[in-house]
Amino acid sequence: MIVEDVPCPFCGCLCDDITLTVKNNRIVGVENCCVLGNAKFLSKKRLKHPIMRKDGAWVEVSFDEAIEETARILTGANRPLLYGWSGTYNEAQVTAVHLAEELGALIDSTTSVCHNPSIIAIQEVGHPGCTLGQVKNRADLVIYWGCNPIEAHPRHLSRYSTYADGYFFENTVRDRKVVVVDIRESETAKIADEFIQVKPGGDYLILSALRAMVRGRGDVVPATVAGVKKEQLERVVEACQNASYGAVFFGLGVSMTRGKYKNIRNAIELVSELNRKTKFTISAMRGHYNVYGFNEVLTWMAGYPFAVDFSRGIAFYNPGETTVIDVLARKEPDACLVVASDPGAHFPKTCIEHMAAIPTIQIDPCVNPTTALCQVQIPVAITGIEVAGTAYRMDGVPIRMKKVVETEFPTDKQVLDRICERVRELNGNG
Amino acid sequence: MTIYTLTSGRTIPQGSFVEHKISQGYREATSILFIHPMDLFDLGIESGDNVRVSSEAGSVVLKTQETETLREGCVFIALGPYANAITGGYSHGTGMPDYKEISVEIEPTDDPIVTVWDLMEDIGGLRYDS
Repeated sequence: MIVEDVPCPFCGCLCDDITLTVKNNRIVGVENCCVLGNAKFLSKKRLKHPIMRKDGAWVEVSFDEAIEETARILTGANRPLLYGWSGTYNEAQVTAVHLAEELGALIDSTTSVCHNPSIIAIQEVGHPGCTLGQVKNRADLVIYWGCNPIEAHPRHLSRYSTYADGYFFENTVRDRKVVVVDIRESETAKIADEFIQVKPGGDYLILSALRAMVRGRGDVVPATVAGVKKEQLERVVEACQNASYGAVFFGLGVSMTRGKYKNIRNAIELVSELNRKTKFTISAMRGHYNVYGFNEVLTWMAGYPFAVDFSRGIAFYNPGETTVIDVLARKEPDACLVVASDPGAHFPKTCIEHMAAIPTIQIDPCVNPTTALCQVQIPVAITGIEVAGTAYRMDGVPIRMKKVVETEFPTDKQVLDRICERVRELNGNG
Repeated sequence: MTIYTLTSGRTIPQGSFVEHKISQGYREATSILFIHPMDLFDLGIESGDNVRVSSEAGSVVLKTQETETLREGCVFIALGPYANAITGGYSHGTGMPDYKEISVEIEPTDDPIVTVWDLMEDIGGLRYDS
């Protein structure tokens, strides 16, 4: 069986033009996909049963026992932490927020360790953004700043920018210029028309220099800025001002370095300056395929996009205090539920040390480093392959994920619904 | 001792093994330290030799791989448990730890690269071998 137009459940590009060949309820062929999505569609290894630690060893248990133990741990905790959510669908995320409210828990997503600073900056100065279709059809200048789409979002260039056909272009490869700003000559930098190699931590300085030049105050810019020659910056400013439509895409090279959200704020303000001369937009290169979706769901339900603390009985949001890294560094949580992410591989050592010291539960199809930190793991169906649901692309466009094969595993939503129901019973709110 | 600036980020091999983080492929993809040939020369080692990389947060053994895509003094590693073994949990009040721009010391070593399970057990975890 051939299934067409399948959205890919890997990165924030959420490419929805994948063709899958399914034989005997198994994916045997993948077309149009990048190497990252391909590996996920064809992946065979997974955890086959719920597992639980008993007397210092792993044992297989039933779904009923694993769910009961999860509800017991979470209900008994004073400061439960619910974390993850970017690798599952919106309908399951809705249940997650209900569960957080019922428990008086702190709920946060992988946003906290990727584009959290971008969201803070947008909350401060707004977001001159656009959908990827606008970039594809209109942008004659694309700037990739602190990101490396060839390795992190491999089809971004061919679907939306450099190599994509555009409605208003005869030849996009010739007519669309690409600028890359990075500390290393990444694979993306190698195909750029202009590569700005900035010293680590120099983004804020470069952005400020560019803003001064756009404002006509290039005279205040020194001969070199963060390792970059003034002449190169002048060339880039000229290219920006001469563009009919410029699109900036920025990644974690800007949000994770010194200055954090101040870097993004400066980048947004540069784009605002450029909008006095021509049309310019700026967008975050979101990582997980549905990291944006969780920000939407939590905002609809609690008013804030990530790091919401329900312990006061109301939704409280204060990044730096209610963000997952900070609560773990302060060793506050006394129980943790991880769903659809892998902090064991992606959090600083000091933070996961605390996760290993408290009862932690993971809901995930695969064995991963977080498994070692857990007391219980519940395997589930894979969203976008075995279960349908809504996800949000990196530009905020919702796309319906497809179910292409049957499975006996329960979905994230089914498991979370059962945990939520049991927690309510244990709390006397059933 | 010379201080280097370490940055982490995504790579294709790291991304390809994301659903198989216990595999040897993931271990190899996330435990390579990309470094400029002149820095290797200063350390008196060759590309492929192991080094111990230490920051304020901890230390970890990695395998070097030379590249001229980096400036001298800057080193790069794919994100993952090896990078995080030397990443601190301090977020400067922003929620975001310093995954990039980490000050590190580098010294040659004959110590082996440990497995992902070893890293998790070092901090109190328990490996699961299916």
